[in-house]
Amino acid sequence: MEIVISVTDLVNRFGNQLVHDKLSLDVRRDEILGLVGGSGTGKSVLMRSILGLQKPTGGTITVLGQEIEYLKPGPNRHWGVLFQGGALLSGLTVQENVELPIALHSDMPLETRHELASLKLLMAGLSLSVADKYPSELSGGMRKRVSLARALALEPKILFLDEPTAGLDPIAATEFDKLITYLHDNLNLTSLMITHDMDTLFGTCDRIAVLVDRGAIVGTVDEILESDHPWIKSYFGVPRSQRANWASRSGRRD
Amino acid sequence: MMSAYLSIEKQADVLKVGLKSDWVFDNVTELEDATASVISSDGKPVIFHCGGLQDIDIAGAWVLYDRSQQLAELGIKSDFVGFKAAHFKFLQNNIDMAAIREFEEEGGEPESHPWLKTGLEQLGKSTTTSFEEVGFISNSIMDGVRRPFRLIFGETIKQVYETGVKAIPIVMVITFLIGIVLAYQASGQLEQFGAKIFVVDLVSISIMREMGVLLASVMIAGRSGSAFAAALGTMKLNEGIDALRVLGLNPNQILVVPRVLGMVIALPMVTIFADIAGLAGGALIAIGTLDIGAVQFVERVAFSSDMNDLMVGLVKAPFFAFLIAVTSTLRGMQVEHSAEELGQKTTVAVVQSIFLILLADAYFTMVFTRLGI
Repeated sequence: MEIVISVTDLVNRFGNQLVHDKLSLDVRRDEILGLVGGSGTGKSVLMRSILGLQKPTGGTITVLGQEIEYLKPGPNRHWGVLFQGGALLSGLTVQENVELPIALHSDMPLETRHELASLKLLMAGLSLSVADKYPSELSGGMRKRVSLARALALEPKILFLDEPTAGLDPIAATEFDKLITYLHDNLNLTSLMITHDMDTLFGTCDRIAVLVDRGAIVGTVDEILESDHPWIKSYFGVPRSQRANWASRSGRRD
Repeated sequence: MMSAYLSIEKQADVLKVGLKSDWVFDNVTELEDATASVISSDGKPVIFHCGGLQDIDIAGAWVLYDRSQQLAELGIKSDFVGFKAAHFKFLQNNIDMAAIREFEEEGGEPESHPWLKTGLEQLGKSTTTSFEEVGFISNSIMDGVRRPFRLIFGETIKQVYETGVKAIPIVMVITFLIGIVLAYQASGQLEQFGAKIFVVDLVSISIMREMGVLLASVMIAGRSGSAFAAALGTMKLNEGIDALRVLGLNPNQILVVPRVLGMVIALPMVTIFADIAGLAGGALIAIGTLDIGAVQFVERVAFSSDMNDLMVGLVKAPFFAFLIAVTSTLRGMQVEHSAEELGQKTTVAVVQSIFLILLADAYFTMVFTRLGI
């Protein structure tokens, strides 16, 4: 199995607090890896380290064979990132936000660029009537979709999702899960997703990485459920986890 | 006919187009050129053979689909054969997206109601169009964005408009008022000596050398310095800066450089307007209450002050602008955690900007005095 993202012996320390200690993690091609963990276990820190936005105390990270260095351009052309709050540029319209990466990385004619950006908006489940609006005029769920459209603008190989369903109502969250699964099935994407949403975790992820004891325990959903690590047991043992698991098993994954 | 991406073969009743190589995002420009050459002069249907494709993504599939739509508009049928399952999924996806074109053709301007167009509306319209034009210019530059350089250029123009053009009215109002105050204060003292004509000297020299540029700078530090710090700070907080970085953009280049450049261009311009308004304020009092004639006023200004006085004021403007822009963007970029911090950094940005302006002004005055300018 081809390894797309490889994290080896990652160490992250903030003052006296050791967040990651020799954490190692591989993300395989074409999978959705879900990243879970309690507060302060460094989920975001891990993702930011992979994206080169955070300087790790130690360890190496390679993405698509390229070693990641802090604040140095990574494989920008081949990854897309959906930040938690959307992180759209408020001075640009929805259309311009999606066109920006295309404009930066390609010399294609203006018209094609417009069309491709519109296509991505439609793929993200938006109507084109929002294209000329500014991000501030959109709801939280729509902003996430625009951000997803922007993340997909360059036909990325890897998609990073930071709590994609956080702050969405259950209907919107379910739709978003379906959208991600649909895009994933159609686009040969590899995804790394931070989520606390049990439905998302059971419904979309191929494997799960749990951040515990400053390291990561990685496995398929079943393997993780059978783990006897106390935190994992309590995390997946609470009623809402079990309901979500039961629901996904009884064939709601569609 | 051959190209790297397709081969065209004329057959008895169809035009056979064999697709090959990688139909992907990176090659879109070449693909556009290649597909443009697909045309059957005698209206024969076009068949795209896709078996030879190495790779195709949404962008490549879109180019293909777009061409088949254009051919359909010319009355030429087109068909696709030999798709591998994965390729076909892409295309199917795109066909679902055919709504794009339909949507673009709909829409259009809503009908206007001529009887509603009052004079007031017309006035509002002409005002907004002139503003919109400026916006359009910077937008059309945005449209040309290909590489960061163009983006920086477009942003710089936007910043000149935001920090300079928009500040002109308020800066003119306050310098006009200060011109009035200076003239009044001076006249009270100078009239005792029967030397009220020197009011003109005092107003023109102080406005041109100091007050014009200082008031403009302080006003812009308050207006735009706070705006810079708050804008960058907010972007820092909502991960906007990170979003730029993962796109491969350097935020310093995209956000800081245009603001610094824009303000360095804008402030001297605003200073000129400030000088004009300050003199106008002085003139109002001199002519209105001190019985100095308009002609006499102008003569006296020309006599008492020269080009040097004007230049002393203007030379300082770009330096002040640089100090304001660098301080406030730097403070904005330092925001890390919370909204409170954003507020603090914004305050610090404005206070430090004004402090640095006054410090620099004192230094300039010393240097100019030594040089005898």
